[in-house]
Amino acid sequence: MTNPLPRRQFVKTAATTAMAGSLLQLTGHSMVHGEAPGDNEIRLALVGCGGRGTGAANDALHVDNAKTKLVAMADVSAPRLQSSIDALSNEFTDQPEKVDVPEDHRFVGFDGYKSAMDVLRPGDIVILTTPLAFRAPHFEYAIQRGLHVFMEKPLTADGPTSIKMSELAQQADAKNLKCGVGLMVRHCRARQELHKRIQDGEIGDILTMRAYRMHGPVASAHSTAKPEGMSEVLWQIERFHSFLWASGGLFSDFYIHQIDETSWMKNAWPVKAQAIGGRHYRGDYIDQNFDHYSVEYTYADGAKLFFGGRTIIGCKNDMSSHAHGTKGSAIISKSGHTPGNVAIFDDQLFKRRTERWKFGQPEPNPYRMEWVDLVDAIINDCPYNEVHRGVEASLVTNMGRMAAHTGQEITIEQMRNCSHEFAPNVASLTADGPAPVMPGEDGKYPVPEPGILRDVEYATS
Amino acid sequence: MARFCFIGFLLLCWIATTGRLFSDPPRRQIVSSDNRELIQKIHDFIRETTGDVNEVPMTNYRETIPATGAAFDMVAIPAGRFTFGADDTDADAEDSEKPAVEVNISPFWMGRCEVTWDEYEPFMITQVDRKKHGGRIDFDANVHAVVDGISQPTPPYTEMSFGMGQSGFPAISMTHHAANKYCQWLSAQTGHFYRLPTEAEWEYACRAGTNTPYSFGDDALEDYAWYYDNSNDKYQKVGTRKPNPWGLHDMHGNVAEWVADAFQPNHRGTATGAQDPLILPQTLYPRCVRGGSWDDDPENLRSTARRGSDSSWKDQDPQLPRSMWYHTDAQWLGFRVVRPLDVPDADTMDAFWNSATGFSD
Repeated sequence: MTNPLPRRQFVKTAATTAMAGSLLQLTGHSMVHGEAPGDNEIRLALVGCGGRGTGAANDALHVDNAKTKLVAMADVSAPRLQSSIDALSNEFTDQPEKVDVPEDHRFVGFDGYKSAMDVLRPGDIVILTTPLAFRAPHFEYAIQRGLHVFMEKPLTADGPTSIKMSELAQQADAKNLKCGVGLMVRHCRARQELHKRIQDGEIGDILTMRAYRMHGPVASAHSTAKPEGMSEVLWQIERFHSFLWASGGLFSDFYIHQIDETSWMKNAWPVKAQAIGGRHYRGDYIDQNFDHYSVEYTYADGAKLFFGGRTIIGCKNDMSSHAHGTKGSAIISKSGHTPGNVAIFDDQLFKRRTERWKFGQPEPNPYRMEWVDLVDAIINDCPYNEVHRGVEASLVTNMGRMAAHTGQEITIEQMRNCSHEFAPNVASLTADGPAPVMPGEDGKYPVPEPGILRDVEYATS
Repeated sequence: MARFCFIGFLLLCWIATTGRLFSDPPRRQIVSSDNRELIQKIHDFIRETTGDVNEVPMTNYRETIPATGAAFDMVAIPAGRFTFGADDTDADAEDSEKPAVEVNISPFWMGRCEVTWDEYEPFMITQVDRKKHGGRIDFDANVHAVVDGISQPTPPYTEMSFGMGQSGFPAISMTHHAANKYCQWLSAQTGHFYRLPTEAEWEYACRAGTNTPYSFGDDALEDYAWYYDNSNDKYQKVGTRKPNPWGLHDMHGNVAEWVADAFQPNHRGTATGAQDPLILPQTLYPRCVRGGSWDDDPENLRSTARRGSDSSWKDQDPQLPRSMWYHTDAQWLGFRVVRPLDVPDADTMDAFWNSATGFSD
């Protein structure tokens, strides 16, 4: 398939990408989709080609409200990029033109994100699905290039990055860029209906909410020592749930959805948190996570959210969110993220007998809806920037994690102003360089020490 | 496709699986890390452990899984002949269940209950770094046992019991491939050849000598099965309803159960008098599921009711490629194991355990 893009200088080496920004200085006017005459296609670039990134690209290519096409990809791992393109091509064997990423639009390396975004035109969409540590530099470049953005959650792991991302979100607003954040539950039609009903007073005032995520070790939460001969940085990126700088740890990556969805129903963000947590059966594991957390979040009106997280096999599993109000109660998530199986009850027992309302099944898939909604905003030029609330959700999540890791009560202002930046040099990371956190003599990485380390979540040398 | 005699058909299947031809667009094959050599080792261990089949008395027994200590009961099922499928006397029977055909079944043992989380979860979550296809990244034949070479699931991305309970409850939402690999994992440790039941074996055991829509009277469903009207929207602990005449629990309801066969639109082509019919799948979908579940109405719990698997059972998976281990949307789907009295050759074991290997969706 020929490339209808105007001829442009594609820069493909790390040494020269730094110039790309200056070559392509963009004017400040708003980018509206479809500026190119006779071309009503939104192009996509995928930055971060893991399982979720590939899934997000797949969801983007399935929208029914615009023509979308993937034209560029970037990842620090060549095999990961390859398996991503294979999976997407396999998904679109009947529409091969949807996945149009020739060899010279596949970029491997830490600067690949720039090259991939350079393939796009202003008004196209870049998908940012690397571990969160890289979100700010990638978002910054996307804004510079005048691109709409979809980025996965969480957005930040610490205070300084949260402030930075908030500033970038304002810059995106100034350029009228549409930004979606992968808190897909917000796009679930069932939860939207529940939210409306709760706002209409159907369960009265919310006094307490409960959320749990308890199951065995999943994803890359628990890691044993790095294999010999592998790059420290690349390995930590691959095992990103194990490292606080890369992901905010399992706490941020796993728990943000439920902390966000409950706070959404309450229409407020918690203002402080206290928490307990610890590590058990951790023989050969070297990651930085606790394997159990219990957090009490407090809202400004005194209402509470109790969050319980456990990553231990053989214990009771639970992945649900509930709200308790003065006139009834609600299931926000029955099990997992989708379907929500939301319902409202007359009492606090969650029994079918007293069920007042529930959303009919099947529910539309929210992973698809979040894309339909983003594309809709682009086509119709509606205000759309989820980064502001994505940062708040990340910050509130970080607050609970920090409360557990330090053993202190942490307020939202303390979290926002906590100066410990986990990966200050993330923009200049290389495969050969030292990682933002390094193992000690025993091969283990620094872990939280509640009560001893009260201001930071782990010791930095 | 016509049904052939079992052993001859398996040989054909072996040829087909080794030089696989796709009727679909070409797909990237996912090569299983457990190769033929490993299967040969498992086979030899089973031969050695089981000994001469004629010396094995067919009695019920309890199997304890060496790796975990979890135990489950196996029920001896004698050889016999039965009517496979439904005929027009059953008003609820769909075309897919017809015609009814007389077939012969060799002796085997069958799990008294569906496989529970106690048995399955330690296989599913291993805390070992694995490639997407489930092989250990660090596998070293000089260090690890044979059982460690078997592909096992990569960790799930969500809580797989969906809040319905774990200990004593049936394991759910595994793909056909995952169920097959569990059987291989179990066999490599115990020295007994475990696999999924064939569709014919399953129905033979479900009927347990009866020829009515259920192995009990229509009005006794409540006492024998968990289904939509009495399950309170979730699966229930295995073995808590009455067993069928052969001592098997939950054949009707609780969770629907994987069988080894491809799902054919009907039984046409199954030869009368066939010995141990089986249609080994040539595609990933549809594969056959039997028995109905907690989420089904009574007619879907009948002995002859059938259902074919579908890729939409993975819709919830936010990753691509979707995991080969989980049907996250099929929260009513489980399985039980069988062990044939006659120990087959390694090729036959391979054909069962790897019937879903090499496909991606």
